Amino acid sequence: MSAPAEVLAVRGLSKSFPGVRALDDVDLTLRPGEVHALIGENGAGKSTLIKLLTGVHRPDAGEITFQGRKVSFGTPLEAQKASISTIYQEVNLIPLLSVARNLFLGREPRNRLGLLDFARMHREAAETLRTYGVRVDVRQPLRTLGVGAQQMVALARAVATDARIVIMDEPTSSLEPREVETLFSVIRRLRDDGIAVVYVSHRLDELYAVCDTVTVLRDGRRVHHGPLAGLDRLALVSTMLGRELGEVRTEGVTKFAGDHRIADSQPVLDAEGLTVPHKLHGVSVRIRPGEVVGLGGLLGSGRTETAKAISGALPVRSGNVTVAGVPLRGGSTAAAIRAGISLLPEDRKSEGIVPGLSVRENIALAALPRLSRFGLVSEARLDRIVDTFVKRLRIKASSPHQKVGELSGGNQQKVLLARWLAMTPKVLLLDEPTRGIDVGAKAEVQKLVDELAADGLGVLLISSDLEELIEGSDRVVVLKDGAVVGELTGDDVTEDELMRTIAGDVPAPDVAKGVTTDG
Amino acid sequence: MAEATLHTAPLDKARLLQWLQTYGVYAGVALLLVVNTVITPHFLSAENFRTQAVQVAPVIIVALGMALVIGTEGVDLSVGAVMALAASVTALYLGYGLLPALLVVALFAAGAGLANGALVALVGVQPIVATLALMVGGRGLALVLLPQLKDLHNPGLASLGSGDIAGIPYLILIAAALALLIAFVVRRTTFGRRLLAIGDSRPAAQLAGLPVRRVLIVVYVLSALLAAVAGVLATARLQASDPTSLGNLMELSAITAVVVGGTPLSGGRVNIGGTVAGAVLIQLLTATLIKHDLPPSWTQIAQAIVIVCAVYAARGRGKR
Amino acid sequence: MRRTHRPHLLARPALVVVAAAVVLAASGCAKSEDDVSDSDKSSSAAEAGQKVVTPKPGSKSCTIEAYGGRKLDLKKGATVGFSQSEKEANPFRIAETKSLKDEASRRGVKLLTANAQSQFSKQISDVQDLLAKGVDLLVIAPLNSDGWDPALKAAAAKKVPVITIDRKINATACKDYVSFIASDFVEQGRRAADQMIKATGGKGEVAILLGSAGNNVTTERTKGFKEAIAKKAPGLKVVFQQTGDFTREKGQQVTEQLIQSKPGIKGIYAENDEMGLGAVAALKGAGKKAGDIKIVTVDGTRSAVQGVVDGWISGVIESNPRFGPLAFQTLDTFTKGEKVPQDIIIQDSAYTPDNAQQDLGKAY
Repeated sequence: MSAPAEVLAVRGLSKSFPGVRALDDVDLTLRPGEVHALIGENGAGKSTLIKLLTGVHRPDAGEITFQGRKVSFGTPLEAQKASISTIYQEVNLIPLLSVARNLFLGREPRNRLGLLDFARMHREAAETLRTYGVRVDVRQPLRTLGVGAQQMVALARAVATDARIVIMDEPTSSLEPREVETLFSVIRRLRDDGIAVVYVSHRLDELYAVCDTVTVLRDGRRVHHGPLAGLDRLALVSTMLGRELGEVRTEGVTKFAGDHRIADSQPVLDAEGLTVPHKLHGVSVRIRPGEVVGLGGLLGSGRTETAKAISGALPVRSGNVTVAGVPLRGGSTAAAIRAGISLLPEDRKSEGIVPGLSVRENIALAALPRLSRFGLVSEARLDRIVDTFVKRLRIKASSPHQKVGELSGGNQQKVLLARWLAMTPKVLLLDEPTRGIDVGAKAEVQKLVDELAADGLGVLLISSDLEELIEGSDRVVVLKDGAVVGELTGDDVTEDELMRTIAGDVPAPDVAKGVTTDG
Repeated sequence: MAEATLHTAPLDKARLLQWLQTYGVYAGVALLLVVNTVITPHFLSAENFRTQAVQVAPVIIVALGMALVIGTEGVDLSVGAVMALAASVTALYLGYGLLPALLVVALFAAGAGLANGALVALVGVQPIVATLALMVGGRGLALVLLPQLKDLHNPGLASLGSGDIAGIPYLILIAAALALLIAFVVRRTTFGRRLLAIGDSRPAAQLAGLPVRRVLIVVYVLSALLAAVAGVLATARLQASDPTSLGNLMELSAITAVVVGGTPLSGGRVNIGGTVAGAVLIQLLTATLIKHDLPPSWTQIAQAIVIVCAVYAARGRGKR
Repeated sequence: MRRTHRPHLLARPALVVVAAAVVLAASGCAKSEDDVSDSDKSSSAAEAGQKVVTPKPGSKSCTIEAYGGRKLDLKKGATVGFSQSEKEANPFRIAETKSLKDEASRRGVKLLTANAQSQFSKQISDVQDLLAKGVDLLVIAPLNSDGWDPALKAAAAKKVPVITIDRKINATACKDYVSFIASDFVEQGRRAADQMIKATGGKGEVAILLGSAGNNVTTERTKGFKEAIAKKAPGLKVVFQQTGDFTREKGQQVTEQLIQSKPGIKGIYAENDEMGLGAVAALKGAGKKAGDIKIVTVDGTRSAVQGVVDGWISGVIESNPRFGPLAFQTLDTFTKGEKVPQDIIIQDSAYTPDNAQQDLGKAY
């Protein structure tokens, strides 16, 4: 293949924020039809680079050449008009408008009278979305769709607007595997159409599956660039982390050590027949002290709902939860927390942290009653607890008084873990504990889960990262459409087995037996 | 993502805005004091400061409750109506003596607060709608109970309104004590911390096991009780119960004081010192214009400018 | 949140019941300070009101032929409708409605009343209701000056003569309505000025507590006062005018500011009694003695006249709310077929230290 002219050339781009050199003399070239991986740990400068390319920020130095012309985008709109489309991690469409309106926003088909041609819009929207594997009523408001489907709408919209470059910022973080496959086929189609794609992701599998070239950023500098094929996975990780190859290898891909010593006593958590209308149909999960039970399944299979039902955050129609032999009553989060159940929610930013409060306040939030006397907070005891956990979890903040909203994702997650560990729980429900956090923090969180299990906690682990789920769990309970469809134990805890169970390739196991059999 | 390290303000302008939001209100008060000292005759007198403090005391007391409600990302539009209700109930029960009357006022206020809190916390009505109901209904009830202005002659009530300790009127002492109390509640109690957490992120507070409903209800009850205190004090000062006009537009004055004082409407933060200063700023501004006999419309324009400045300064912080 | 709808729906009837219960409970066992002394108030006031008419020189008159109605005898079973604008929560409205009711029963005329509760749309439908009920004559105390077309057309269709009291309607007299009866607010201002001049000796600085901004009563009472001051007492200077919004509380607050920034002030003209009483409260609070600063007010409520008796207020110009006798007399004359003036000005009296004590019973 002859090398076509560059569609985008970035030279010596630099950007500083007070106190931080976010981007330092970075180059980047994109050719038509190239899928370019942009990777780096949190804080490496990926987001800053994207924001410079899309006109959110202006560079301090350096130049951007787009289709042979020097450009300087003042606003995101200008970048969009110049045919650079961006798909963000969080969908930024209008939730209350219909799916079709969102898809055609700003370029609605009109009839002869100049009015919106809804019939045509709905027809075309349905057709377009079908090619993305999304089959929905396009007249529904966007927010009625799942996050994955919304993401596909955003993608369809970005691609449809004559983009020359599509930037995807962690597009798969809320997609399920089938949707990821669809996304990849769309990306391949874009490549064939000569559109350049910048692909940002934490998931190495995806990069190898779809990207041609890679740029690795670290601390605001470009530390590696070139073709991805032939580049060793561990070498890539070591470049990102800036660590020696041997060191990374000995640590494995995840930080999980493997099997835990599981007490052969009564279960610390016994959830029986949890039923929530339209969501869960008699889900049962049993965890013994020291055991990490994985909850597998696709997006929407009821994993998050199971965790929320156990923790009292989702009212159940029927079913019981027993903690260390004591039945849980009341069905409120407060009651579950008192009984020793702690939930690390999936949506860290809106359901986990209290962004405007300090690290200190966030850690102490759930434990306030035990840190208070007559409703007055004992600052000394609070400081002691906070100090202990900041050290133990190595939370990186300028001070305990820094707002949690200003921390990196990994440190936010650690603050949440600290909040729950301060309650000395018996059961930890971890819903996507490492989503969207950098590799280093991810490893620390994984190691911590191991340690907690070793201390005798029961852990329920939900992760859409299959490697993490398989390596971290002693057993995996597999959900499909709100019901348990199987359980992997012992040597069967593998990705292959999991996929086959999800896909339904194995003859459906006796569900009741599968749950009660010890692994 | 973490690249946008927000804790180091990216621009000098942003830093200025942040400074303005935190300290702008104090600077404004200081500026008005200096300007008045120069241009207003008889400004530097104990009597004048006493007047300003006495006039602003009810606003401060109401604004304290409003600050708590706004801290939970709510708003209480019914405070003016609760003041009127307190005024008419005071007049209605004064025949039993001052203390029994005040107890009945407290009961009514607590009932109003419970109604607001229940609508917001249990039924899930938006605060602005829930309290709007009582804003209209509360004054209606006040007027049904006492259809027209009534002069009051209770000596206890009169001394509450105009008495003093060592030259400092009771009104000022009560407002100061309440401000200290509320500041203490916000800073040092579990209730205060929970209130802020709920205001910042209600789902997170819920999942962290906080008694969200209870805290919200208590906040609205506190707001109503504080409004009732202000209503009784204003009535005592006037020595007449005037449910038709007492507390009219008080909700707006209180919200203005809170917002100008640097408490964001988005909840999660309560600035009590700023709220007090915000009320004082508006009072001084009004007094300045009145003392110089400028047209009343100027007062409104000046207030609008202060609010716009406050909102502009708050903008810098609003984006997290 | 999902369970919220039902309680919400149930809440409405429940709320009404609760509200009713609250009112009953609250007023049932209430005991205000001077429940006993309240009763003597109304007795003497009843007949005190109706005064002389002073037809404006050169003002036009109206006859039933010109208007196009039919003659009738008020004494023989006529029904009169009265549409009140605001609820009877202030002394003026209370006295106004009472005056019409008393006069109707004195003359043996059947009176139907309606109250718009300060909602203009309600007042229009009130008038239409009264017409539907078959009233022969209409007395309206309008809430607004504009927007009366539908109501007046309905009255004209039934050939029902309309008289408006205390506020004028923007329409043609003797065509859309018969006459307008009211006080002359400018004149009230002039007479207040006379009182002020008398009290202060015509020298020094005075302040005005204005009524609500944008209200014609405010503008006219200010205009009359300033005109008269300029003409009769050039030594008197208006150095301060701030709004007290017609309320006692604002009157008090503004006066507190005033007496500190202008300690030399000699007099305060309050454009209604409530603000004047607020000013009195402010003076008392500042440790002043009765008569230190001369206060003149307009309205003639009992509390203000009592203030004159006590020496805190130097004069109260009455704004007469007792339209009953004059309205019925006008209707009577008109329906008999005689001429009536299109603009009728009520004679307002005044309360000064000389007559306040004996006329206290006349105050409303």
